[in-house]
Amino acid sequence: MLPDSLTPSDISALLSSVAKQDRAAFAKLYEATAPKLLGVVLRILKERSWADDVIQEAYLKVWQRAGLFDKGKASPITWLVSIARNKAIDELRKHPAGRTTTDDAMDERVARQPTVQDQMEDQQVVNKLNHCIGKLEKERQNMVRLAYLSGWSRDELASQYEQPVNTVKTWLRRALQDIKGCLES
Amino acid sequence: MSGIMTEHDDLDMQIAEFVLGTLPAGERKALQARRELDPALDARILQWEEQLIGMTDDVAPVQPSPELFAQIERVLDQRATQLDNTASVVMLRRRVNQWRWSTAVASAAALVLVAVLTFQPASNPDSFVAVFQHDDQQPAFLLTVDLQNRKLNIRPVTAEAQPGKSYQLWIKSDELGPNPRSVGVLGDQMQLDQGALKQYDPALLREATFGISLEPPGGSPTGQPTGPAIHGYLYPAGNDLSRRI
Repeated sequence: MLPDSLTPSDISALLSSVAKQDRAAFAKLYEATAPKLLGVVLRILKERSWADDVIQEAYLKVWQRAGLFDKGKASPITWLVSIARNKAIDELRKHPAGRTTTDDAMDERVARQPTVQDQMEDQQVVNKLNHCIGKLEKERQNMVRLAYLSGWSRDELASQYEQPVNTVKTWLRRALQDIKGCLES
Repeated sequence: MSGIMTEHDDLDMQIAEFVLGTLPAGERKALQARRELDPALDARILQWEEQLIGMTDDVAPVQPSPELFAQIERVLDQRATQLDNTASVVMLRRRVNQWRWSTAVASAAALVLVAVLTFQPASNPDSFVAVFQHDDQQPAFLLTVDLQNRKLNIRPVTAEAQPGKSYQLWIKSDELGPNPRSVGVLGDQMQLDQGALKQYDPALLREATFGISLEPPGGSPTGQPTGPAIHGYLYPAGNDLSRRI
């Protein structure tokens, strides 16, 4: 839900102001990006207050580390989302029981139609990724999305798909290799 | 199958699984720690993040409650009052990059602490820098350097003596070449000769960064950091904070 007026380069500019301890820029950055980050984190953790804690930690880290953001190496949205997502997954691995259910995640994997407003990524890039994931076997598509979007571990995937953990590992790595190969083609 | 996978491929898949989220917790932690020291690894992680980020396009944004940002601002306010000098914070951040060693060194490197001297307000001849351990709000060591007299003072905060291991302090500066140089090995009481930096010019010290690695007893056998990676995060602390700790 990036306001129309804010482009990725606007976000990069905000990040460089934040690196100079500009609190107003930080507020703008938060306003523009927090809904996206919260959506991603909430999908992984399922609990609102837990997700709020992670968002807080994520933005404190953004405040501390904005100076390390290098727009030549990452898009600002990817950088921000990754900070929050990494924290969410760290949390989930630390407290695997904290999430009360994994069942609902199965339903969420069905792609919804994104609205114009919340398209933060380059649509061509998104389409290409979807195309590449779509070329995988159906089961592996689901595994990749459950892992990435809902934070499922190898073990959780293994029990869901009734496969040994090592098989799941092999499938995931093959799937990632296929995605990479497809994206590069 | 094992003959086909190269080490490079294997690392690439480890990175990919890290980004996907399925890398087991222990490997995940180790990779994150390494990432802090290894810009090449960091770049490869960023690449994978960029490749997979499109999946989040499916996720509906969720509007945070207004209280959440207020809470974040409160934490920042609290921290700001603990910090000595905002300008030095910014400068310190920039220096973090310099502490990222070359890949060859970093793959084996370990450090607990990074400390940087920036500038010294006239009223405050000492610059303190506390460094925080990964995922922890406690500084591992505090390092003070008196630039004028080239005297250093190091003291552990949460770092504890490790049986059969020594902590070793390193200095890194562009003028000294790409690799860190040993300043000295900390003694049993975690102390170090105050004059260990005497040979360095104050101008060089001002620009230098410092780190600590955990080494075999008596220090690194190779002349470069070799111990396990424990990463710290930069934080400057003024006199007030150092007294409080």
